[in-house]
Amino acid sequence: MHGSHRILATLAVLLLSSPAAGAGLPTVDPPEVAVPHTLEAFRQAVRSGGPAKDGIPSIDRPRFHSAHAADDLLEDGDRIVGLYLDGEARAYPQRILVWHEIVNDELAGTPVSVTYCPLTGTALGFHRGDTELGVSGRLVNSNLVMYDRATDSQWPQILGVAIDGPLAGQGLEELRVIWTTWGAWKARYPETRVLTQETGHVRNYRRDPYGSYNPTSGYYLPESGRLFPVMAKSGRLPPKATVLGFRTEEGAAAVTTEALRRQGVIDLAVGDNHYAVIHDSGLDTGWVLHNPQRTEIRLDELQFGPEGVSGGSTEGLSSVNAYEAMWFAWEAFYPDTLLYRGDEEPRP
Amino acid sequence: MKPLRALWVILCHWPLGLGLVATVGLVYGGLYLWLIGDLGGGGTGGLHAVFPAWERVWETRGPFHFEPVGLIEAGPLVWTFSPINSLLAWGLGMLLGTNLTLGWRLRRASRACGWQASGSSFLSSLPALLAGGACCAPLALIWLGLPLAGALASLTPWLIPLAALLLLASLAYLTKVLASSVS
Repeated sequence: MHGSHRILATLAVLLLSSPAAGAGLPTVDPPEVAVPHTLEAFRQAVRSGGPAKDGIPSIDRPRFHSAHAADDLLEDGDRIVGLYLDGEARAYPQRILVWHEIVNDELAGTPVSVTYCPLTGTALGFHRGDTELGVSGRLVNSNLVMYDRATDSQWPQILGVAIDGPLAGQGLEELRVIWTTWGAWKARYPETRVLTQETGHVRNYRRDPYGSYNPTSGYYLPESGRLFPVMAKSGRLPPKATVLGFRTEEGAAAVTTEALRRQGVIDLAVGDNHYAVIHDSGLDTGWVLHNPQRTEIRLDELQFGPEGVSGGSTEGLSSVNAYEAMWFAWEAFYPDTLLYRGDEEPRP
Repeated sequence: MKPLRALWVILCHWPLGLGLVATVGLVYGGLYLWLIGDLGGGGTGGLHAVFPAWERVWETRGPFHFEPVGLIEAGPLVWTFSPINSLLAWGLGMLLGTNLTLGWRLRRASRACGWQASGSSFLSSLPALLAGGACCAPLALIWLGLPLAGALASLTPWLIPLAALLLLASLAYLTKVLASSVS
């Protein structure tokens, strides 16, 4: 074989055998969640948030200490993002996450990214495979736009679907993370490990640049204004009111935290399917179960443990990811969302 | 070189002016660092300093915003210290202070001597004041929670160099007027 032909053949073999772009990142194609605007509309709504790419640095080598050690730094009412996976529990204090927004971690041998957007009050977990997620410095509807370090595709956190780059239109594999208080989390998971302030970066972890959750003040107050333009708004709730939202391929639904606390269990229909939203009073969050047969959930028989909700006729019902969000952001992403406030019949 | 020499002579022989430049520079620099988040509350009362990240000295967090290399706690204050951010803060502060002090000096002199050009010399310090505030405006708006901050966020890369240019231009003008008034 001629020398140049041999080089070309070698190159061809290398190109054909190399993994596809983004193979390191587990994705869902097509995504299993609603995408209510076109990708082009999302791309046009992207704004600079101020910081440069990685100007808000993700934590890529997280360190952890015990719940006992964390007690010296956290008050029971301080907010954390919790993750429980395969028998391991970890807590990520909001006061650290507000400066980094993404922790690229590994739990029980599974690489995960725990992400938090302070401007929309949303915490979501994703499988990250062999790559990492980073902060692009851009926002959509005030929400963090992440990028993956394998393909540089752009992923709005709330959407969980790439709007730009080689993986545009594909979804990320989501993990349930819990937005709760330190006191509630350590009561449920006393053996939890807690992210330390040794992040590799110097930040003032005693101060939140936007306000406070303990007690609530500044940007986090329900009636306070948003900073960036949004794709849709209606004023049905105060902008920063907290809702628990979930989405399916058929649409999106949200319940107010007040209604969920008051009722304990809420039955919602999204498209042709029914879902049970169950309040977990220990963590003050909700679990969403796909309930196609509208099985009656017996509130007094429900049990809550490390794995979530059980008992009360929930056996056999599959779990749907859900997360808390500021209302203005949820509505901007999902303008046709069903909203349940408890003072009305569920309506689209 | 004549205007610069005039500026040097004026400041060296005018302790009050020098004090004003230093005070404005210090206050402005502190405010700048507060607004970009390098200076804040949360201190536990003691005096404590660690510098664990010198390797990040040139890493940027955004346009003209650099990574801190150390953390200084003094009383109730916590200062995440970046040498470059500090130089920018106090450099702009000194420029603003010199502009305002010279503007004030020329205004006083104009009242005493009745110069024709003196009114404009005072007005020239206004852009300097606006420029000095402009570089922190988006940060201040975010801090105050005003929606305008989102629109201004994309302008931030331009505001700091623009502020420095305006302050330098204003200073050049003031020193020129000063030199001509001395001669």
